[in-house]
Amino acid sequence: MAETKTITLELFRYHPETDSEPRFQSYEVPYDEDWVVLDAINWIKDYVDGSVTHRWSCRMGVCGSCGMMVNGEPKLTCAAFLKNYYPFPIKVEPLVNFPVERDLVVDMEGFMDKLQDVKPYIIRDDVNDTSGGEYLQTPAELAQYKQYSMCINCMLCYSACPVVGHEDDFLGPAALALGHRYNKDSRDQGRTERLEVMLSSEAMWGCTFVGECTVVCPKHVDPAGAIQQAKAMGAQEYFKRFVMPKGAGATKGAGA
Amino acid sequence: MSGGQYHRPHRRAWFMERPAYIRFMIREVTSFFMAAYLIVLIVTLAKVGGGEAAAAEWLQALSTTGWKVAHAVALAATVWHTITFFAAVPQAMPIYIGEDRLPAPIAKIVMGYGPWLTATAVILWGVLR
Repeated sequence: MAETKTITLELFRYHPETDSEPRFQSYEVPYDEDWVVLDAINWIKDYVDGSVTHRWSCRMGVCGSCGMMVNGEPKLTCAAFLKNYYPFPIKVEPLVNFPVERDLVVDMEGFMDKLQDVKPYIIRDDVNDTSGGEYLQTPAELAQYKQYSMCINCMLCYSACPVVGHEDDFLGPAALALGHRYNKDSRDQGRTERLEVMLSSEAMWGCTFVGECTVVCPKHVDPAGAIQQAKAMGAQEYFKRFVMPKGAGATKGAGA
Repeated sequence: MSGGQYHRPHRRAWFMERPAYIRFMIREVTSFFMAAYLIVLIVTLAKVGGGEAAAAEWLQALSTTGWKVAHAVALAATVWHTITFFAAVPQAMPIYIGEDRLPAPIAKIVMGYGPWLTATAVILWGVLR
């Protein structure tokens, strides 16, 4: 009978009730080339150590819950196949640049606050008036922002961004890309309002364009590109204030 | 016994953690050499404006090995910075034709390498003719 292949997972462990410092714990997991890192962690929790704590949901790269550091890289663990690491050990840690709640779970509260700061929704003067029917949009207008609407809030980009790691107030890649997504939406009229937040030094001007947010994004959102475009848009708005009569320089929105 | 969240310590040598961070730092450092060369260029223009003798004296001073090496380093840094700048152009300034985005390799040529090489050719033609 053939010996069962195994692979070693080294999991970051931290239980706030008992630990003052994190530690790593090794587990031998059956190796299956169809398994992803999330399958291996689930196997550990189900069969070896029920105290292992991690966050996951859809297992198909849609929910954005299972982001972790896999051998130092921010990854969706549901998309990180064991076969890409076998036979070497895999070190799994919680996403960096976030406080750790327990084991592989990080505190998302600050991230959620930052998302809300950029007003990630369509702002219109006539929001309650539906008498005119739906707001029409051409495929070309959709193409302007569609890529930036694909974000699943997995926070991998925040772990890849060194500015996030050093500036607590920096809004970060996903929030800024989301703000830009609405600024580029032809149905939106809230660009000026949104740019008031995005133009601050803690927002897009804090981005130094390292570009790793775009590299690690599992949905190809390109937050780095969105932020550079937002900078250009913000600069235009800023200079319009000097060259346009009072009030006339305020751009309502992409399609307004 | 702790009881709270764990905060990873700040990493002073954060730029050594990923190859991409090192590339980023190299890109940023090349700006210093570009700025230094611009100062030399401004001084050169001032000397040229000061008359033929002042210009000749300045050019003579620049002909030492040290200055030649400095110029070579500045050139290499500028070329590298330019390449990284053009690589970012398709992300920062996307061009749409209808609902289709111009592919990055073409955008780099249209907005970066094309104008750069054209301008270089025009300058060389002006200097060498």
